[in-house]
Amino acid sequence: MARWGMIIDLDKCVGCQACSVACKSENNVPHGSPHEWKRHQDLYWHKVIAASEGVFPTVNTQIIPMPCMHCEHPPCVNVCPAKATYRRGDGVVMQNFRRCIGCRYCIIACPYGSRNFNFKDQERQEYSRPDLPPDLDLGYASHIGPWPYPRRTRGVVEKCTYCFHRIDQAVEKGQKVGGDGVVPACVEACPTNARFFGDLDDPESEVSRLLATRNSMKLREEMSTDPKTIYLPR
Amino acid sequence: MSRRAFLGVSAAAAAALTAIMVIKRPRAGSSPEKGTERAVETEELVATSCLNCPTRCAIRVRVVNGKAVRIFGNSDSPYSDGKTCPRSHVGLQVLYNPDRFTTPLARAQGRNKGDGVDLARDFEPISWGDAVARVGRKLKEVSPEKLLILRGLNTNSDEDLIRLFAAAYGTSTLFHEETLETAADREGKRMGDGRDNSGYELMSRSRTGTKYILAFGAGIVESERPLARNLRLWGMLRRETPNRSRVVVLDPRYSVTAAKADQWIPINPGTEGAMAMAIANVILSEELYDSDFVSSHTSGFEDFRTLAASVRFSPEKVAEVTSVAAEVIRQTARDFARSRPAVAWSGEAATSWPHGSQASHAIFCLNALVGSIDVPGGIVYQEFPPYKPLPLDAAEEGVNLRELGDLVRRGGVEAALGFNSNLIMSVPSTAKWNGDLKGLPYYVHVGPAVNEMAAYADIILPSCTYLEQWGYESALPGSGRAEARLKQPAIEPLHESRDIAGILFDLAEELGPPVSNPFRAIWDGAEGFGEAFVKQRTGPFVAWRDFKRDGVWLGPDYQYGKYGEVFYTPSGKFEFESAHLERLLNVSRPGDDRERPFTLGIYRPVLEIRSGTQNCPWAQEMFLVMDGIGWNNAVELNHETAQHLGIGEGDRVVIESESGEIEAEARVRQGIIPGAAAMATGQGRCASGRWADGIGVNPNEVIGSEYDEESGQPSYFSTRVSIRKA
Repeated sequence: MARWGMIIDLDKCVGCQACSVACKSENNVPHGSPHEWKRHQDLYWHKVIAASEGVFPTVNTQIIPMPCMHCEHPPCVNVCPAKATYRRGDGVVMQNFRRCIGCRYCIIACPYGSRNFNFKDQERQEYSRPDLPPDLDLGYASHIGPWPYPRRTRGVVEKCTYCFHRIDQAVEKGQKVGGDGVVPACVEACPTNARFFGDLDDPESEVSRLLATRNSMKLREEMSTDPKTIYLPR
Repeated sequence: MSRRAFLGVSAAAAAALTAIMVIKRPRAGSSPEKGTERAVETEELVATSCLNCPTRCAIRVRVVNGKAVRIFGNSDSPYSDGKTCPRSHVGLQVLYNPDRFTTPLARAQGRNKGDGVDLARDFEPISWGDAVARVGRKLKEVSPEKLLILRGLNTNSDEDLIRLFAAAYGTSTLFHEETLETAADREGKRMGDGRDNSGYELMSRSRTGTKYILAFGAGIVESERPLARNLRLWGMLRRETPNRSRVVVLDPRYSVTAAKADQWIPINPGTEGAMAMAIANVILSEELYDSDFVSSHTSGFEDFRTLAASVRFSPEKVAEVTSVAAEVIRQTARDFARSRPAVAWSGEAATSWPHGSQASHAIFCLNALVGSIDVPGGIVYQEFPPYKPLPLDAAEEGVNLRELGDLVRRGGVEAALGFNSNLIMSVPSTAKWNGDLKGLPYYVHVGPAVNEMAAYADIILPSCTYLEQWGYESALPGSGRAEARLKQPAIEPLHESRDIAGILFDLAEELGPPVSNPFRAIWDGAEGFGEAFVKQRTGPFVAWRDFKRDGVWLGPDYQYGKYGEVFYTPSGKFEFESAHLERLLNVSRPGDDRERPFTLGIYRPVLEIRSGTQNCPWAQEMFLVMDGIGWNNAVELNHETAQHLGIGEGDRVVIESESGEIEAEARVRQGIIPGAAAMATGQGRCASGRWADGIGVNPNEVIGSEYDEESGQPSYFSTRVSIRKA
């Protein structure tokens, strides 16, 4: 079985946030409001953060896109009392809305702030997606997937899924995943082609080749979470 | 056929032709089982193009059960390699903006203009027929040359129709809001090559990449057009070519572009032009210029050399003005001249000054010095699709903002038509312009959703967004190669909105011959007018079927080195002549340093939606990535300066200039030169809808009324302000 991972090239990334918007659009993540912004109650499955250091005129700001790290040893899974969050065989860390009891231990446990608590019922906004996700007619027996996402409810934790609906559909149909094949929405939307997706176990995959030829880093490596979202520094 | 019948036909035709590619049908027996959502019954990918900024990228819209649910780049467009910037995705929220106009509106009796917008209180709904009749009656009354036409961001096809209407009606008083940002830069480049369509190619089709980019106040990956292409090429130049190109940014502010560049050189506001001359000084005195190009294809070089190589522009002298060390200037000049192809990119921060066109010219001359004109990876001249000529010669040039202001104040305008205009949000000295626009005797606002201009409107006509209409677009200068893009309706027009083409046709019909003659000449009665127009104009070069399927038409490959024909100057060569380049050393402005010690610059962040609205939650909640600011904007100050003034992060501060004062949140950062202050535009709205109103402040309110001397573009970066704690 594949082990999915994502590579983000910080040399190419320019912080335009096409990834964040594409994610919201693809996964129908509700938008926030000034009120929710102030209370940190708005939802992002993907966020771009900036960290500055240095003193004028030698300033350095790193702009870092942050999807879920999909850790090999995810702390969120360890702490979940309801087994609502789990690591799939292909390494994707999932959240089952139906099992989630909203205790938010996982949010505390996650060292990357990748998890969000949904404080509100989905409004029937005009621009929320009226369709079911693309995998509607796949007949998923293989996992207890939480689709349809458009019908999310308040009081549960949500997170990035590496757009598993796209990936699973491609695997089922025998399409190529990664490279010029099927990729998550953020990878597809990236205008600088700074993001790559593929099988970390396949030495021939684009992601493996990049890891072999470039320096790479993982965020908070000292926590032994072993993220599968890996960054290529400048 | 009556007008009513015509409307019915056009709507039906639009709906039928929207179904371009039905790629998925429901499986028998699949039923919507979960909640209220319906299963996917129809799914189409409609090839059309974006209009959230002037780049107008080719996109595909995924439409499910008649609703647009997702926007992708169109991989048939090599212009940006099928990629789009974040604004394109936000298009869904432009389309389904909850604050769109639903019907034509007329100002209610006794409601004053200019005091905010309350649609329910100030306006009453009227029918389309009534609205067109009212506007037509007014247009028959006024003397034609006293009709003012304001243009915001429209499709190229609507632009052509607006100009056609103006020519047929007999007015040449057209104003385009794009000139607020680009007029000075264009004027400066025109001094050199006589052209309007030079672009920075950066990467040729044969993958020759620019080796060195010197950005003078240019936010290449935030605000400079063509943005999506810039973003894509940035990725290519960084890691997809064997030799990584070098990017150096000269800017008072540590912008996103500066953060991602190889080097940020902080420079005093407004001294980019002097810096360019100092770089020319080094290139000339060290004989690093491209002597072949300079000797065969330029004129006025000797005079330019005399001026630029003089001691006034020596690195040591210019270092005093710019606060960039002489050694840094020398090194930059050497690297720039030796890493060819190199481009010098003039951005708004450098050109939006009283001497802006001269600064742009000086910067453009650097490109000529190193021979980067019409070479792969250098400056190229965009070709345009060979559209079928319009039935009437439509005037190209209009008035600039300075002339517009004079005209309005003198009473030279009897009626005004605004197409997607949001003039009041983008002009400097908002309070003064508020008074001027209030004084417009009659204003008809044409736009999809409520914005601040509704405050001045007598009649509001609801137009479609770009996702509901027909149109064509030409690629902006950048790739060289001609590229036409189609706009076709992804969904049927919402509410009672109608496309601008149809509105203009109806107005022309109402006015009768001779105004209606060119419109009659275009329309063959078979389909809607907008569609007929696009079909006819693009007919000479692309089959309609293919165009609707691909959404993109490409011209022949670009040919480089056409030096015999690219320069439209009197000499037929690149011209170094400019009488006023010395002016670049003197950036003095009204007011003095002690009273107002800061120079306020405004910048356009990537998530400022350029189509006249900001009523898009996705754009609002991640508005400024560098500062982690959403649903707001802030005034950026240097850390040390702020400490000196006792201002801390997040404090409320008052920014005061000759034109007024505003209160904003302070953002204290290391990445800005002391003496400069910066604010993002796009916020501070009062009538743009529920997700935009009352958020942040509009820095234009304190920008002074100075203009570029040549082009009349307002000078957005030169205003002196004082800042104190509120």
